[in-house]
Amino acid sequence: MPIYTLEPVARAICAAAGYTFGGGIGQGTFKETYLATKADGTKLALKVLRPGFSPERSDREVDAMKRCSHPNIVTLLELAEFEHAGAKYGYLVEGYLGGGTLDDRMQRNLLSRGQVQTLGDELIRAVAHIADQDLVHRDFKPTNIMYPSDDAEAVVVDFGIVRDLKKESITKSYLLSGPGTPFFAAPEQLNNEKALIDWRTDQFAIGVTLALAHFGFHPYREDGEDDNQAITRVAGRSGPSAKFTQAIGAANLPVLGKMVQPWPVERVRIPSALLEGWRKQKDSN
Amino acid sequence: MPAYHQVGYNSENLLFDDGLARFGGAILSPLNYGPESVATQIQRLKDRKDYVTILDPHLYRPQSERMCLPEWDYYPKDVETSDFNAEWWAAIVDKLAEVAVDLGPTAVASPAIIPKIFPDDFFLQLVANGARLEKALRGTAVKPIQTVVVSMADLAAPARVMAIASIMSRSPASECLLVLLDNVEPRRELAEPEELKGAMLLISTLESGGQNVTVAFSSSEMVLWKAAGATNCASGKFFNLRRFTISRFDEPNGGGGGQLGYWFEEALLAFLRQSDVLRVRDRGFASAASAENPFGADIIEAIPSKKTWVALGWRQFLYWFADAESRLRSGIVTAEDLVSIADSNWAAIEKLKPPLLMEERQNDGSWVRQWLRALVEFPYVR
Repeated sequence: MPIYTLEPVARAICAAAGYTFGGGIGQGTFKETYLATKADGTKLALKVLRPGFSPERSDREVDAMKRCSHPNIVTLLELAEFEHAGAKYGYLVEGYLGGGTLDDRMQRNLLSRGQVQTLGDELIRAVAHIADQDLVHRDFKPTNIMYPSDDAEAVVVDFGIVRDLKKESITKSYLLSGPGTPFFAAPEQLNNEKALIDWRTDQFAIGVTLALAHFGFHPYREDGEDDNQAITRVAGRSGPSAKFTQAIGAANLPVLGKMVQPWPVERVRIPSALLEGWRKQKDSN
Repeated sequence: MPAYHQVGYNSENLLFDDGLARFGGAILSPLNYGPESVATQIQRLKDRKDYVTILDPHLYRPQSERMCLPEWDYYPKDVETSDFNAEWWAAIVDKLAEVAVDLGPTAVASPAIIPKIFPDDFFLQLVANGARLEKALRGTAVKPIQTVVVSMADLAAPARVMAIASIMSRSPASECLLVLLDNVEPRRELAEPEELKGAMLLISTLESGGQNVTVAFSSSEMVLWKAAGATNCASGKFFNLRRFTISRFDEPNGGGGGQLGYWFEEALLAFLRQSDVLRVRDRGFASAASAENPFGADIIEAIPSKKTWVALGWRQFLYWFADAESRLRSGIVTAEDLVSIADSNWAAIEKLKPPLLMEERQNDGSWVRQWLRALVEFPYVR
């Protein structure tokens, strides 16, 4: 069971705002998330930022969310600061996504060909909007893809390590790898090649996510290998595995193969072209 | 797409030479011509069907006194004191877009300098310039072209090529003007196979990603760029200035190869001096392409009368350039055909008795072997 150290703060925020406190529902490096319910029954996600943890990152997250306005991207409802026990805490209020995560769904069953086609469409629309704002999410993965309800479209959450291409990078150049979740990260992210990070970095992570959701394995993973070996292959840019290449051929998902190419230039250059290609893939199925 | 004519110093007449009408476009030079002259050139070329005019702003080596460049509104007045930051570039790009819209060429290339070194930041700035130009030209009839300046030496490492291509492909412009920098002497061919393969990889990777590549300042190595899939190649006028070296921009004072007539021989993929031309023809090595080149016939006619044929030499090469590009594009001939034939011919020349030595010691065909290597090894790069 995760320990929610910021629960007293969350309870105090709820009390002050007139919300009903509903307990902890998630944790990240920078924040803890709680369920809060308004008097009219509307459920909210209350995210309390850990004090003193990279305020610059938090600022960028908030700024990114404010710039995004899209049905497949979580909506920021409120951003404020709250004083509790002599300390200041930043917090965000977002719409509550009660349909769980993609990860939850994948734990139950792999997605069918049709389901992954639909999910791809939703994620590509989301990343196109993010790219339009000159942002790179950098953490697309099944636990950051949520659903408002069982039959709703996917919503991308957690802009905690978002990169704003219009601003100086926060990541130190001397680090071996940049921020991100290694299993889903593109080579340029794993190798901290900052100049190569752009929306195509997200495209790679979406590709890994879709591959995992449909096939159940990482695109770079060969038979008999573990996840770490797949990550090593990504960092070394060895290219997708023979197993994956065979699988996308059989499933008629050629665009998925392009999305996970080792160099950004080998992936799809323009978001609209990716969406168009992805949909054509469906038509020819 | 057809070959483009890269306009050089005092060579405006070549643009309108009927014998060179096979060029499908021109890269206009604000370095050599002021705004009024370029405007006139564009107007005169507008009547040609499907003819493309590209304004290249030529900031490659900015200096306050730089031939005709100071006459142009976009050309900065503070090149010696500027720190070339993002705001400085933005102002130039905005002004360049205004100038281009006023002039009305088909397209304008984004500004770029030739740096001392080529770090990622340099390429990011190039992309920023291209993106700003694209934005500034939206809704106008002028197309933006992303300028890509790379050092051939950097291209010897395939991973670096892919990194550069990855950065440059971020540009919203769907066309690139590729400027390949080298330190080869002006009158010599590019002959480093790893660099050539890297340049070919860069071209093919950008093209595969959906960006049409025009290779600027090409010489006879155009055959390699076409083999790599370059949409267009542009050629300069002067043999001695045919490559993008410093001397391309610092016109040589007196002497130099510019004063000598050179014949381009497809059978050897080499530039020949007068006595070489006669001896190569006598020994049966001249190509059909040379025989059919109308300027070649004019040169042969001029030789006995001891007339100078420098200007005919430029035309003979330019005609070959457009003609060979057309044959390569239409598949009548392949780059491998041309280079293999030249390689065999140079091998045969080596064995000739009595020997056939070219006037210039370095004119020995050694680059042809390297080009063949680049062609056959290129598919296996990476």
